[in-house]
Amino acid sequence: MLEDFLWGISVVGLAVTLVISLYGIAVKPNLIKKLIALTILGDTANLIFIIIGYRLIYPVKPPILPVWKRSYVGTFAAHAVDPLPQALVLTAVVIGMAVNVLIAFAIIQLYRLHGSVDVRDLRQLPELPELTGGDEE
Amino acid sequence: MSLNAVALTPIIPIVFAFALPMLSIVFKGNRKVVEGYALVGTGLTLLTSVLLFLKVYSSSAPLVYSFGGWRAPVGIIYEVDRLGALMAIVTTFLMFLITIYSYRYIEEGLEWYYTLYLGLEAGLLGVFLTGDAFNLFVMIEVTSIAAYALVMFYRNRWRALSAGLRYAFIGAVGTTIYFIALAIIYYAFGTLNMANMSALLHGMTFQVVGSPYASLVKASAVALALAVWAFLIKAAIVPNHFWLPDAHPAAPTPVSAVLSGLVVNAGVYAVMRFIFTIYRGTVPGVIHALSVVLMVVGAASALLGAVLMVVQRDVKRLIAYSTIMHMGYIVMAIGVGSQLALEAAIFHTVNHAIAKALLFLSVGIFIRMAGSRDIARLAGLGRKAPAAMVPLAVSALSLVGIPPFNVFFSKLLLFDALSQRSYVLALVLVVSSVIALTSYMRVLYEVWLGEGGEMREGGRKAGASMTAVCVFLAIVCVALGIAAPYVVAHYIHPAASQAVNYTAYVKAALSGVLKA
Repeated sequence: MLEDFLWGISVVGLAVTLVISLYGIAVKPNLIKKLIALTILGDTANLIFIIIGYRLIYPVKPPILPVWKRSYVGTFAAHAVDPLPQALVLTAVVIGMAVNVLIAFAIIQLYRLHGSVDVRDLRQLPELPELTGGDEE
Repeated sequence: MSLNAVALTPIIPIVFAFALPMLSIVFKGNRKVVEGYALVGTGLTLLTSVLLFLKVYSSSAPLVYSFGGWRAPVGIIYEVDRLGALMAIVTTFLMFLITIYSYRYIEEGLEWYYTLYLGLEAGLLGVFLTGDAFNLFVMIEVTSIAAYALVMFYRNRWRALSAGLRYAFIGAVGTTIYFIALAIIYYAFGTLNMANMSALLHGMTFQVVGSPYASLVKASAVALALAVWAFLIKAAIVPNHFWLPDAHPAAPTPVSAVLSGLVVNAGVYAVMRFIFTIYRGTVPGVIHALSVVLMVVGAASALLGAVLMVVQRDVKRLIAYSTIMHMGYIVMAIGVGSQLALEAAIFHTVNHAIAKALLFLSVGIFIRMAGSRDIARLAGLGRKAPAAMVPLAVSALSLVGIPPFNVFFSKLLLFDALSQRSYVLALVLVVSSVIALTSYMRVLYEVWLGEGGEMREGGRKAGASMTAVCVFLAIVCVALGIAAPYVVAHYIHPAASQAVNYTAYVKAALSGVLKA
């Protein structure tokens, strides 16, 4: 009963966080807040993967083989939690870090050049002087 | 040798990319050394991909390489069929030529440029060769990160940063959505190997991985919706197209050619792989709904891209909208779903990649001369540089679909395939082509016959290497057009028929564990 309640809370919580993060990315005008929302989105996706990978169909133990013997492998496979989602999430975390660092750098550089991190200041159409500035320099 | 070619093709560029920054410290950023290094890197990749191409086309089954000796479905495998090999050879061929072009175009930071460029090539090749859905995610991210950084290559211009940031945000959301789709696929299928997924969907049985864990139809509906949405963001199809017209022009012109010609292909290739190889003939309700959506958004992209081309003053932005239009054609054809439509889509992807890259490269010569991307400022420059004018005209007319050039023949195939399904789709193809023709005519007229023809202060003449690349690609356009029936019969048709042959795809990957 309590377990079901906790599961329900965490699933609903994940869904709400997902929506909030998408809202943040789409609506917030400040690029830093957009970046924060993007990291929240990435973390939520990772947590969804972990929860989905935690199958409730068998008793769960850490995926560690207690004794290095062939006869243990059968029981190990029947009782250990599936380690693959964790491995996939680790990969996704590393990739997400690379993207976030790149975006953070670009925001800093944009602030140095333009003096603003508000997308409303970036929205004006390309004007002719900028166009004639051309592709070079 | 055969299996080595599968493994080496994506590994060579990534190794070259990571070694380049250190090497350039040793040589103190000597431009000639860096350029030679990049030529060797892309040239070797071209060589292995040619070997791979020949091997795949001479063998009847797809080639499989298991990393670390872990066989599918346990380990990550690369599985190359003719579709993947064809995409890979187009990628490496264009990347090699664009490396020659870039030397004169990129004037500062050549070593960082090539680090990102080789990383981009590795990511693209990984997308085309992989046989694992999670590895596809990783490779799409590798491609994307390099692409974001290349869009922001002129890091002292805030407009380039702004365009790159927009691309990075929407791209990162897209890949995260695909990651969630992978979670759902893993929950239901218990595997992320493409061949294994296909086997489970088609009811083939196995020894290692047993039955699926949940309803495949429900899980597939959600996962396909999310995954295809993510891929359509990468391919810039209409509701998700808004990043492309900013991002592609902001990049240096050789990068625009790579982004418009090759990177968008990763998205449509992934959709093709999912619909035609993995899901071929299964979950009919879901696939039918999806194909209707694909046809609608494809038609919308084609029309919107064509209409917005007309009003552009920035020549690179005009070409970027044309990319949206052509991606719309390909997605429409994928939505139709017949084998003929797949053939048309593959042929159009190949032709569009070559012609669009050529269009960007040849227009880049004029942009360099004028120091401007404004069409009015390019007026008359074609008379100054006729050697670049001819490739510009060839690529523009080819993209419109004028007969002797290559895109005409893929548009003909597309027309056949679309009209088998509905004449409305075929009409969309014709109408948008006509609208695009007016825009291209405006560009050609201005550049060739426009008033002016003065080189601006600070404008630079094109290097001979840049013009040579353009002329060579123009010859390729014409040759592909003249040889189109031969190419379709010997390269495109086998690629399409192997892509829909899921039994061979599954058997090649899982031959050891599949029950007879």
